[in-house]
Amino acid sequence: MQSTATRARQNSPRRKGGAGPRRTLPFWLILPTVLVLLAIQVYPALYTVALSFQERRPAGWAFVGLSNFRRLLGSSSFGESAGHTLVFLVGFTGLTLSLAFVIALLLNRRPALSGLYITLLFIPWILADIIVGVIFRLLVLPDYGLFSGILQNPELFPPRGLSLLTAAPPRPWLAGFPFPPAPAMVYLILAAAWRALPFTTLLILAALQTVPSELIESSRIDGADGWQTVRHIILPLILPTLVVALFSLTLSGVNGVGMVFSLTGGGPGSSTEVLSYLLYVIGWLRLDFGRAAALALMLAAVNLLLITGTLRVTRVQQRGGPDA
Amino acid sequence: MRELFAAAPAPRITRRARERFLVNAALILVTLVALIPVGMTLLTSFKREEDVMRKPPVLFPCDTAAARFDPGACRWSVEGYERVLLVTPSAAAPLGFVLRGRMLRTFLPNTALYATATALGVMLLASLSGYAFSRYRFRGRDALLVGILAVTGVPLLTNLLALYQMGVSLRGLPIYSDRAYIVLVYTGFFLPLSVWIAKGFFDAIPRELEEAALIDGCGPLDGLARIILPLAAPGMTAIFLLTFVNVWNEFIAGYLLISRNDLKPAMFGMYDFLGQNIINAQLVAAACVIVATPMVLVFLIARKSFFRAMVEGAIRG
Repeated sequence: MQSTATRARQNSPRRKGGAGPRRTLPFWLILPTVLVLLAIQVYPALYTVALSFQERRPAGWAFVGLSNFRRLLGSSSFGESAGHTLVFLVGFTGLTLSLAFVIALLLNRRPALSGLYITLLFIPWILADIIVGVIFRLLVLPDYGLFSGILQNPELFPPRGLSLLTAAPPRPWLAGFPFPPAPAMVYLILAAAWRALPFTTLLILAALQTVPSELIESSRIDGADGWQTVRHIILPLILPTLVVALFSLTLSGVNGVGMVFSLTGGGPGSSTEVLSYLLYVIGWLRLDFGRAAALALMLAAVNLLLITGTLRVTRVQQRGGPDA
Repeated sequence: MRELFAAAPAPRITRRARERFLVNAALILVTLVALIPVGMTLLTSFKREEDVMRKPPVLFPCDTAAARFDPGACRWSVEGYERVLLVTPSAAAPLGFVLRGRMLRTFLPNTALYATATALGVMLLASLSGYAFSRYRFRGRDALLVGILAVTGVPLLTNLLALYQMGVSLRGLPIYSDRAYIVLVYTGFFLPLSVWIAKGFFDAIPRELEEAALIDGCGPLDGLARIILPLAAPGMTAIFLLTFVNVWNEFIAGYLLISRNDLKPAMFGMYDFLGQNIINAQLVAAACVIVATPMVLVFLIARKSFFRAMVEGAIRG
């Protein structure tokens, strides 16, 4: 007993820190954080669960079981928004990851001015999503936007030119699934990718810098060309980071809503109405809190899944790493 | 030009040099393309109304009846900024004018207040608990850490509904204030990740330093204040800045949870402004520049801090 206590004390001077204030110190240090999180994160989450089983009636809230979920899943706007979200996520993550990978490869050559490039490239990241939406919207304002002169030229985009934010979506290939997407959706993906690119690039660059240069050298000597080196040496080594980046992009894509507000407002029609925007529409425009809570829970579940996935990948990465 | 390149011999040296040239050229191109939207917004913000309303649009307001581009005839203007700030002549003011624009008088101060208060709160709470998680092994520690990580996975968006309802019912209380509530919400929302970031920073500070302080007779809190805090200052700054920028840029919670329009933050102001002035692109662009410039400056000045917090936050312990 005595000896374990001594050993513990040697490992960490305050592990069992005797009696009184020392022992309770960590408790007091953590208490404020725990209280705030209980009030702002845990309680509202439980409240949302409770809300999702209720419906507002003239007489007050009534318990309705799973009816909110049933009605939500049965509504056409949910299916449509889920389709939009899927299209958005695939386009957004694919575009961002591939561009970020290429830029990170370039930066990994350590050009003399790489600090300057990174700083300048990071400016979009510091801009709010609302602002990014506004900036991109100004560029394609019908008739007056600086890109509209090109886009609305009938010779380049027959038959009548392209007005990005008002053009109707093309006929879907599969009934009920919004693909190919409306021009506004493509533009939304572009704007979102523009803003997410810097962070993703930095993440991938950090991973690239852990790839030992001897490996790349020796693959060169063995006669691999640039693409083969990337494909067989670099990609497998940074795959965990790419997965983490994919998860984190998906997270921000699922939850991001500001850009939809300022860029498209969900339109034209409902062609850029993603699930996060639908939550606003159901909850605050239609004031149907029960169904909105059901939708919020589903989005939260997606989030938790993604976070768990990220954790699993990083943990595997750490265990496999040299200093784990 | 092409002949010149083709004629250049000495393949040994040029291979390296050519590669470096290509990498730099590609990066310059990428950077320029990436900054096109920013540049266009700046351009638009300095145009006059009649140049914004041109059909087809012109990039530079520098064309005359005689020439398509005449640098001497450029019609740059700060009309957009003047109309956002509502510069009004006033005899009583020291400079001869006052700025009456709501963006500057109402929304930006609100945002500055919320961002500062939240960043201070998050920095304080995250440092305390991050320190505890880094230095002590107590019962429930691991469960709490995982719990905090799980909470990171609950997005603000899905909690908004309940937070909105909570706000509605709290509004009956005499001590309720929209300002305090939104700061509390932001604190709760940005805290979990910051706790992990803070823990990572404290983990990186060698424990031996504190042990030495303990042996020299410092109490644990004393040791925290004298030894650890100076070493942790860069990390705490990073948490402060990251939270500050996050709150500054946040839109949906400020929009939905604050009931009175005069208490709403700048991003709401921006959204509102867009709805009212969409035709006047020079106004909207000027408003963007006004709201975004402080953050861009903060980032340019303190970018090392941001990268530090980002790497720490991305790895998460």
